[in-house]
Amino acid sequence: MDSAHQLEARFDVIVIGAGHAGTEAAVAAARLGCRVALITSALETIGQMSCNPAIGGVAKGTVVREVDALGGIMGRATDLAMIQFRMLNRGKGAAVWAPRAQCDRGLYRRAVRTQLERHPTLRTIQGTVARLLWTDGGAGGVETVEGRRFGASAVVLTAGTFMRGRIHIGTGTRIAGGRAGEAATVDLAEQLERAGLEVSRFKTGTPPRIDGRTVDFSSLQVQESEVDDFDYSWSHYWGASRAGAHGERRHPAQLPCWITFLEEGGKRIIQAHLAESAMYGGAISARGPRYCPSVEDKVVRFPDAVRHQLFLEPEGHDTSELYVNGLSTSLPAAVQLEILRSIEGLGRAEMTRAGYAIEYDYFPPTQLWPSLESRLVPGLFFAGQVNGTTGYEEAAGQGLMAGLNAGKRARGESAVVLGRETSYIGVLVDDLVTRGVDEPYRLFTSRSEFRLTVRQDNALARLAPIAIEAGLLDTSEQELAGARREQESALLRLAHDTSLSPAAANAVLEPAGSAPVRQPTRIAELARRQGVSLRGLVVAADLEFPLAPDAMVTVELELKYAGYFERERVHADKLRRMSHLPLPSDLPYEEFRSLSTEARQKLAARRPGTLAQAAAIPGVSPSDLQNLLVEIERRRLASAAS
Amino acid sequence: MVPDDTIVAVSTASGRGAIAITRMSGPRAHEIARRCLSAWPAGPRLASLSEVRDPRTGETVDRAIVTTFVRPQSFTGEDLVEISGHGGVLSPAAVAALLIREGARQAEPGEFTRRAVLNGKLDLLQAEGIASIVDARTEAARRGALHNVDGGVSRQIGMLRGAILDLEALLAYDIDFPEEDDGPIGRDRVERALAEVQHHLADLMASVRLGEMVREGAVVVLAGRPNAGKSSLFNALLGLERAIVHETPGTTRDAIEAVIEAGRWPLRLVDTAGLRESSDEIERTGVEISQRYLAGAHVVLVCGASEDELRATSDAVHTVTAAPQVRVRTKADLVGEPGAIAAPAAIAVSALRRDGLVDLVGAIEQTLDEAYGSLDPELPLLTRARHQAALTNAAAELALFAELQGTNAVPATIAAVHLRSASQALEALVGSIDVEDVLSRVFSTFCVGK
Repeated sequence: MDSAHQLEARFDVIVIGAGHAGTEAAVAAARLGCRVALITSALETIGQMSCNPAIGGVAKGTVVREVDALGGIMGRATDLAMIQFRMLNRGKGAAVWAPRAQCDRGLYRRAVRTQLERHPTLRTIQGTVARLLWTDGGAGGVETVEGRRFGASAVVLTAGTFMRGRIHIGTGTRIAGGRAGEAATVDLAEQLERAGLEVSRFKTGTPPRIDGRTVDFSSLQVQESEVDDFDYSWSHYWGASRAGAHGERRHPAQLPCWITFLEEGGKRIIQAHLAESAMYGGAISARGPRYCPSVEDKVVRFPDAVRHQLFLEPEGHDTSELYVNGLSTSLPAAVQLEILRSIEGLGRAEMTRAGYAIEYDYFPPTQLWPSLESRLVPGLFFAGQVNGTTGYEEAAGQGLMAGLNAGKRARGESAVVLGRETSYIGVLVDDLVTRGVDEPYRLFTSRSEFRLTVRQDNALARLAPIAIEAGLLDTSEQELAGARREQESALLRLAHDTSLSPAAANAVLEPAGSAPVRQPTRIAELARRQGVSLRGLVVAADLEFPLAPDAMVTVELELKYAGYFERERVHADKLRRMSHLPLPSDLPYEEFRSLSTEARQKLAARRPGTLAQAAAIPGVSPSDLQNLLVEIERRRLASAAS
Repeated sequence: MVPDDTIVAVSTASGRGAIAITRMSGPRAHEIARRCLSAWPAGPRLASLSEVRDPRTGETVDRAIVTTFVRPQSFTGEDLVEISGHGGVLSPAAVAALLIREGARQAEPGEFTRRAVLNGKLDLLQAEGIASIVDARTEAARRGALHNVDGGVSRQIGMLRGAILDLEALLAYDIDFPEEDDGPIGRDRVERALAEVQHHLADLMASVRLGEMVREGAVVVLAGRPNAGKSSLFNALLGLERAIVHETPGTTRDAIEAVIEAGRWPLRLVDTAGLRESSDEIERTGVEISQRYLAGAHVVLVCGASEDELRATSDAVHTVTAAPQVRVRTKADLVGEPGAIAAPAAIAVSALRRDGLVDLVGAIEQTLDEAYGSLDPELPLLTRARHQAALTNAAAELALFAELQGTNAVPATIAAVHLRSASQALEALVGSIDVEDVLSRVFSTFCVGK
């Protein structure tokens, strides 16, 4: 038992690690009014982007906006640090648009740290946590390797790849470390394993980086930024309009990316040196993500591919260093340089940092409650790569929820769990705790049953009510969110109430190849037609309507695809009802012999909290669910009788 | 609903037979059986000769070979006892009655199989295969049903599943991986993958129709004017040497049906002859009365004693159904003048002299082969209405997908809704297509990893 007098300070919530999960966790808890300590090995690396310098992408961009709607900092920091922006899938309809920004690493770190310091109850502390302190069988604080001890009602672990991290460059070089140049965390990992937590290993990798001054750009394809009118954050909390009229520039000056290719020559070099790769040479056995393969993987698995696309991405305004996206590798440094120099435009490139593969511990997330609290260790929450996920955005989403729920626990309030129908964060957390992971988990739109109604443009409408109820937004933010949402409903009303004359309507319809009308027709009706833009109709009606650009996007989609959206909403209602049916944690699944053997085993192992989670477990069939309901009802009757 | 009780049933068909098997399954199966048996096998799956005794009176009910099974190593996945006693009606019924009195419950039809499914011993398709064997009415149906148990349908459906996965993977790749080596997916590629799905679906749907015909018998309706000789022909076909006749009493009131197996195809003969006595009005309407049956016919036997009669009946039938016809010149013994053979496709039959019947069966089978595909015993046969509904739904959703995909005006996610619905409709047949299945297909097909 640790006695209180030895503690340097007491907090409500302590967050271990200050990456994308940890910083969101700290801010979410602080927003609830909790006293929060954010402990990291190096304060300078708060908000470090350890892999590629991009935030967003398909599904991930939506998560950034969800984090923002819940009061998180990732969207705000990205708006301040983005030096390259693209709306992916622009050609495939607004329902699948996906924002993605390259960031200046330095600006991003600075923006994150500034965001943290806006919260008066949040303290940042430099230190490496050696072990947890226990109180009443749960987590009650931490002790650092420097001997500092801090108490807390809840602890959030967001240690990223630092848990017994081991870096590999080729088969000969093996360095203990959580990121290039930073020490790994060993003691804490061992303590948690001793406490009975299940531990497993994953691997991931990074590509080399090069000196941009040694690149011949003349033959490379350039990819310009298209940062026109996009902001990740709805909050505009810094009080400047995006045109910069009030003095402050929101986005830094934009920089291009370049595209080049790994071709036959490079592929041959890789083939020849495969045995020296940490992965292929047998140094690493842990499983890595299939969607983020090393270049060795690409060459082995797709030998017929003529070439592989590479993106040269700027690291920031303060440096000419470039990130060679698509060339993740664990080959020896000398081979990496040889490969680089085989690439068009990189014939004389200098390598600033070698790529590497990293193996690390994660704690299979089926050990967590849907609140992200450990089932085994009360008061200990997990978020980010320690749960077996990859990606800054996935980390941020979990961090926010873990921090929120750690704060809730500290305040004696009940946990907040987002349904799958509300958000990608809901899908992410639900997938983790009910299905688990067998490779580093990344979000895809395919993972969501609600990808028509869960989009980047409507994150605020989906989540602001939840954020307000949870206590995450302050009064002025609540007002802003209300005003922003009112724009949507006002535009929707206007579209339903305003009719266009045939002349005005046809001027919009004809260029869109849509059949003309003969009667005055409501804007809402016209906007349902394929190819007819709502903005065009609003302009034709001569309506003055100041709008956030994504409000227009949202309303247009709601009008055009109402029938499909309705389908999802019916499904969402069903899921919500199932989510409201809690499953007691002590159900004797092994005895429920009306269930298939597979279902019994999986349910006993996972112990889902609700019927909806039971339904999400692969191997649990609808008839198993039916029988489960019957079993529960029988138990209820039996206990009522006795 | 919940199998927590113990069920019992006589598993062999009732009637004459040397041995009848009484089967008992459930948590109390062993306990109940022990009380009623004089000897207990040395171990599971070992047979032992035992008397079946009423524990209350000590009276011997039967002598039987007893085999026990311990869960989950049994057909149902539960504790199970098989008592092979004397055949007949009385002995097995007495054994079952005893076991029921001692705590078991009479099993509902199919309940053993259902428990086997619930306990994960059989998948649904295999279970339906077993149900089909149990009530297989024809040799061909039995073969088809066995094919189901072997997983033949599952294999065929597996190919459909694979095609759907390919298509889903294309869409998933297109939406989720916009900046990869392979670039955007061309519409032609999606269309090719879609065509592949539709091709496999059509195969299965054809097999559904065939399956029904094999299970129920191809519906052969006899059409003709009153006194055209239909009833005589009907009876003559039933009396055909080597024909196995399955009487189906009173399924409908206004027709006589019987299934015969004389060749490869089971034939469900439908004759409306029995109606002629019932009312004058029906008598007058002649061919019309059988419209309802004609509509469901797989082949129509157009019966008539003369060229004119055949032509008139044939025309009348044509107005009701496009089903293929086989012309039968009846009463060949009475009006056997050579001129009547002028009707080229007509088969001359004499019910009285039993002439031409084998030729007629041959002609019917040839017609069925031509119209519905040859009856290949290796062909997977989907025999349940549920399967047909699933395939029809899936086909409708795929058609919607094709329509939206073709316009390119809607976002890919919208078109994908219909593809998802199609694979969900087929879920009842092959189990679910999980997102991990789709993603695995994406990663094995495309080099992703920007």
